[in-house]
Amino acid sequence: METDRPDGRTPNQLRPLAYSCSILHRAHGSASWAQGETKVLAAVYGPKAGTKKNENPEKASIEVIWKPKTGQIGKMEKEYEMILKRTLESICIRTIYPNTTTSVIVQVVHDDGALLPCAINAACAALVDAGIPLKHLAVAICCSVTDSGCIILDPTKDEEERSLQVGSEPMENGIMTSVTQGAMSVNDYLHCLERGRAACASLSEFVRKNIGTKSTSEPSKAG
Amino acid sequence: METKSTSSFTNLVDQSVCPGDVVLDLSKMINQTIKLGGGLRQDCDAISVMKAGRLRFSKPHKYWVENSQKRYVPYAEDSVLGIVVDSRSDNFLVDIKGPTLAFLPVLAFEGGTRRNIPRFEIGTLIYVRVIKANPGMNPELSCTDASGKAAEFGALKDGYMFECTTGQSRMLLSSPTCPVLDALGKKLSFEIAVGLNGRVWVDAASPHTTIVVANAIMNSETLSGAQQRIMVEKLLQRIQ
Repeated sequence: METDRPDGRTPNQLRPLAYSCSILHRAHGSASWAQGETKVLAAVYGPKAGTKKNENPEKASIEVIWKPKTGQIGKMEKEYEMILKRTLESICIRTIYPNTTTSVIVQVVHDDGALLPCAINAACAALVDAGIPLKHLAVAICCSVTDSGCIILDPTKDEEERSLQVGSEPMENGIMTSVTQGAMSVNDYLHCLERGRAACASLSEFVRKNIGTKSTSEPSKAG
Repeated sequence: METKSTSSFTNLVDQSVCPGDVVLDLSKMINQTIKLGGGLRQDCDAISVMKAGRLRFSKPHKYWVENSQKRYVPYAEDSVLGIVVDSRSDNFLVDIKGPTLAFLPVLAFEGGTRRNIPRFEIGTLIYVRVIKANPGMNPELSCTDASGKAAEFGALKDGYMFECTTGQSRMLLSSPTCPVLDALGKKLSFEIAVGLNGRVWVDAASPHTTIVVANAIMNSETLSGAQQRIMVEKLLQRIQ
């Protein structure tokens, strides 16, 4: 059964993507990622000398700072920071720069649904722009299950009710991160994974095509 | 078999690559020695990419990924521009835009002895050579070349220092001379030092000339060779 979506999209259709990198002057790497009205700006500083709290003598440590558009950082933002940190740690090669800390600052410009996948995509693009050694790229997608049991991709804020966010890597199509809200059946979950994996493949092609071209390349005043 | 392995890496050479791309499969190669440069790593039998950029190949068997970034990774035998941030009894601490501060021993100068330690104010700009850059250790610098002569190393006085990406500094140092420096050199007289860590120092008789040269170099990052010459000509016309 087809579900009518308010903006006229089909269930499998993503919102328009916009991506640019090297947009911040001071950051060592930066990227902006927008899906429809949702937009996230990510900046990467480092690797730089680790502080006493974050320093690890064998691996580089990654610090994620989440900046919401309005208000203070709450529990939801702390959870997003933790999820993002774990995801980025799994794709970075951390043994090359021991005793260092890499800071990733994620600024939410606008939130119209599917915020965490947008942040994951922006952070990965910023890491690539900063030249941090990575094992592979990671892309993220958001699926939603409607009341009538239909699965839609890339929901807007109005459509977000029971959502599933999948972060996967294009090489092995593995799942690095999966976050769910609400309740859904096992079959719905597996269908969401299938749809998410297919959408991540097209997202990965988009990222791969754009990653070589830099919009501007300005010198850094940091460090 | 060799033809197949040859064609496999030829497809990716001079192409843009992303982290995770496999550029070589060692299980298909027969007794070949390869040298891996920056941006590549070995994962069991696969050679994969760590940084986004352009894969390069140099005969007979050198591979590297050419990328441009703002952060510098110290390597031995690089010439870099450093800023003195502290002075200790045995070492100067120098910022070379790397993950950690670098050590410049007080004896690493031409004719350096215990009685003849040079004086560097905090903030001095010096042109140094990286002699050790091991992971987990602070890099070690020297103000002499391999034979112990000062050559072109030492403190840089006056002038103007600006920052660019590591890719651009490699372009400025490449041979033959990069078009923007060639075009500027025909009309203006200036002195320039380029560090591989993305710092460039320019000095000229008047600040006016220094600013023109610095702006021309900063604007040339995304331009091709012909575009660089055109940009320099327009810039020089505007100031005359």
